[in-house]
Amino acid sequence: MLDSDVKPSGAAASEFAGLDHHALNAMLNLYDAEGNIRFDADRMAARQYFLRHVNQNTVFFHSLDEKLGYLVEEGYYDAAVLDQYSRNFQRAIWDAAFAAKFRFPTFLGAFKYYTSYTLKTRDGQRYLERYEDRVVMVALTLARGDEALAMRLMEEMLAGRFQPATPTFLNAGKKARGEFVSCFLLRLEDNMESIGRGINSALQLSKRGGGVALMLTNIREYGAPIKGIENQSSGVIPVMKLLEDSFSYANQLGARQGAGAVYLHAHHPDILRFLDTKRENADEKIRIKTLSLGVVIPDITFELAKKNEEMYLFSPHDVERVYGCAFSEISVTEKYHEMVDDARIRKRKINARAFFQTLAEIQFESGYPYIMFEDTVNRANPIAGRITMSNLCSEILQVAEPSEFDEDLGYARMGTDISCNLGSLNIAKVMDGGDLGASVGAAIRALSAVSEMSAINAVPSIRKGNEESHAIGLGQMNLHGFLARERIHYGSPEGIEFTSVYFAAVAYHALAESNRLAVEHGRSFKGFEASAYADGSFFETYVTRDWLPESDTVVALFDRFGIALPSRDDWAELRERVMATGLWNRNLQAVPPTGSISYINNATASIHPITAKIEIRKEGKIGRVYYPAPYMTNDNLEFYRDAYQIGPEAIIDTYAAATEHVDQGLSLTLFFPAEATTRDINRAQIYAWRRGIKTIYYIRLRQAALEGTEVQGCVSCSL
Amino acid sequence: MKDLHTPGPVSRPVPRAVNWNRLQDDKDLEVWNRLTSNFWLPEKVPLSNDIQSWSQLTEDEQTLTIRVFTGLTLLDTIQNTVGAPALMADAATPHEEAVLSNIAFMEAVHARSYSSVFSTLCNTAEVDEAFRWSQENPHLQAKSRLILDEYDATGSPLKRKVASVFLESFLFYSGFYLPMHWSSRARLTNTADLIRLIIRDEAIHGYYIGYKFQRALEHVTEAERAEIKDFAFSLMFDLYDIEGRYTEQLYDGLGLTEDVKHFLHYNANKALQNLGYEALFPDEATRVNPAILAALSPGSDENHDFFSGSGSSYVIGKAVATEDEDWAF
Repeated sequence: MLDSDVKPSGAAASEFAGLDHHALNAMLNLYDAEGNIRFDADRMAARQYFLRHVNQNTVFFHSLDEKLGYLVEEGYYDAAVLDQYSRNFQRAIWDAAFAAKFRFPTFLGAFKYYTSYTLKTRDGQRYLERYEDRVVMVALTLARGDEALAMRLMEEMLAGRFQPATPTFLNAGKKARGEFVSCFLLRLEDNMESIGRGINSALQLSKRGGGVALMLTNIREYGAPIKGIENQSSGVIPVMKLLEDSFSYANQLGARQGAGAVYLHAHHPDILRFLDTKRENADEKIRIKTLSLGVVIPDITFELAKKNEEMYLFSPHDVERVYGCAFSEISVTEKYHEMVDDARIRKRKINARAFFQTLAEIQFESGYPYIMFEDTVNRANPIAGRITMSNLCSEILQVAEPSEFDEDLGYARMGTDISCNLGSLNIAKVMDGGDLGASVGAAIRALSAVSEMSAINAVPSIRKGNEESHAIGLGQMNLHGFLARERIHYGSPEGIEFTSVYFAAVAYHALAESNRLAVEHGRSFKGFEASAYADGSFFETYVTRDWLPESDTVVALFDRFGIALPSRDDWAELRERVMATGLWNRNLQAVPPTGSISYINNATASIHPITAKIEIRKEGKIGRVYYPAPYMTNDNLEFYRDAYQIGPEAIIDTYAAATEHVDQGLSLTLFFPAEATTRDINRAQIYAWRRGIKTIYYIRLRQAALEGTEVQGCVSCSL
Repeated sequence: MKDLHTPGPVSRPVPRAVNWNRLQDDKDLEVWNRLTSNFWLPEKVPLSNDIQSWSQLTEDEQTLTIRVFTGLTLLDTIQNTVGAPALMADAATPHEEAVLSNIAFMEAVHARSYSSVFSTLCNTAEVDEAFRWSQENPHLQAKSRLILDEYDATGSPLKRKVASVFLESFLFYSGFYLPMHWSSRARLTNTADLIRLIIRDEAIHGYYIGYKFQRALEHVTEAERAEIKDFAFSLMFDLYDIEGRYTEQLYDGLGLTEDVKHFLHYNANKALQNLGYEALFPDEATRVNPAILAALSPGSDENHDFFSGSGSSYVIGKAVATEDEDWAF
């Protein structure tokens, strides 16, 4: 496990003497005397960490049989997972895994893995697993007795091509474990039963380790009547307070706090109150600290702002009475003028441009809210029904149906809520592997297995949604790392062209694999017949033009790695297959922000640019740790311009190229220097909306240290 | 009833209204803008996320942490109630006075912040005990006394500035070391975020007062300059002497004293640099543990997950309305 090649040489050796792994790792953030980044210090940190800490705290077993016997007997491993395979096969897969000689290239990768993922003794003091053990257990769990698939998944994961999301990677194969699913989305309707049941669901899901998002759009506004008596409702803020406290209470045995998000429509009358909860000087009673906020913005709001007009906010209570369905089910863009003219709907107005400016002010202060462009999302949705919200990372975009409750909180009519299990491909490793179709196929099978193995009984509407849809979210990471390694600038025409071609090919292989799964199961997801897949219209853009590289650079890039790309004819053939035999997964792709797993996998996060050459990562469990961008050396630094230097437009262009081929969303963070104004943020939002971006995740600001106050020789201070 | 037309013996002249469109020194506006955009309150930081981490510290570690924070509270209190107001009287421009009033207020916010930490993590008896400790601690009292004497001394604005820079850029850091140490070991990481916000402010305070010192120095004779320099170094020696003993008393138990002293040397040099003076300690004596030094970075490029608090990164932005051209689509 220890990389014996890493030995400090000469001068460095004395400099490193006596420093522990934390100090060595921190040296990454401090230039050496010649102004070079000290990558060697980080490798030494990883080495020290294994020598002084991991190896000394790992339980030793003489053989695999002894190890598995002990772990099953002591209740650490789930015997049911291992019993699906012969002892011979178990030996074969473990031998193959250890023969691959996996090494962590960075300190943070190793530290994060051993701190947060590996199996430990119950007192938390000793390690029971190596990285290879974890990978094999995940493969055995997800393959459910299929030896060939288990071997294939093990290889994909160990080579770093496919990385399941944290809940799956952390929990698979363990006897006492949380859920495999990352993320949940719940609707709240305008009645106490729905709110009460929603809070209970938030508690239950947090306890099981997922992030939970709730839609507040349908809850009646502050001052709305209750049972016909005016000025009774207290609006969405108290519901947010209840949710915030619920998430802090359910903290997974103290491992981490629950995390939640709430989404509200821009034309809800409480919208400004909702945003003000994140103000720096908000009163304690209404201040929201840890709950994440998201705003749903339709096209009409942009049109009104363009004309510098007022925007009307509509009472959800009245809208529901007039239209006979919840506010969220109405397209505000479509019905806007009709609702403005309808005297039965209570309304008030604010200036549309002032609304956007307020949005940007709050984003400056807090990074929130996320934004979902409602009409863009629904236009691109191949599934029948409306998408009304997103999730904690703003990449899940699926259709949900409302539930109705009895007085005792039982279901009068059970709707469907959303869960999504995620995993990401490492673009650089997948390209290195040379067989994109095989990597995507294995990933789709692994994620489908998670869906099929999950049944969240505590929230029946989630269970039902999952059973009917088998929705999964295949993501991507390490785009910047790959491009930089190949000496292509992020956001350059070649970088964007690569992104477009790559994502189109991923979409092809994902659909092809989902079609094979539908054939194997003999059926499709529920609602396939009403989807744009069933009538073939989804494929229109793929059979009427090529999605192949054009520039010499990108043609040569795919050639060099031997990646075969789908032609127009391949797409036409796939269309026929899908129309004839269907799809197993209602949703296939979603590109998450990939925090922890990209460190373990030695990748740049998601398809974002890096945020710093040496990233400072802070988490409750690991403290403050430094992470060098993958494949970066002191000789190729020019390709590692960070997100603040690259600027919002190139990031949006890159995401726009990927968005065309992703059926759900992509977590898109925008980065600004602190000298930026709210106008700069607004302009970026307008640009994103125009380019067909579906959602915006965080707004992040970087403030340079005032000249004269910076820490000398600090890598993250020098811009 | 007093005759309104007869000025009293101590009546001051009516000040000129401060006009920010007529600057004598551009630095005033630059620092004002930075300080105001950095405004924050302790309520912003989810300190309660540290409760579990706090309970994992040993009793000695907890006591040390509370003591360190009461020591810091005392320094912030001095700077808030005596230091910054004393400097205001010496201000060379009306804008400098305004900046100093911001500094004074933020020092009060800092002092308030430690109490937020206390009320979130500790029980009242422990905190009262620690405040009593800080009142009785000879080293803490001695360094406060040295600084206060300079603030109270009549007629030397330059010496007041020296004392003030030493407080802002040197004396705080024996205390700041501890939360940075904890956070590099994944302890009290949200408290560390709060301290980093304080460090972000103090770095600017020390820099700005030092800058004003250097401007003021331009207007005095060579002899006075030499005298001030002697004074500064001699005060630094006195303070360093006390700081050394204070550090030993606090950190010997954890075995961190040597490393904290390197950190003191580093910051003493930094304080002298703010005054425009050469370094006192040689490089090898300022080799701070990289984990601490790297953690100090006041830039705001830290990446954190939403399970772990707010970080210390966001600032209050500049609002500018959009124009028609922005909406041309």
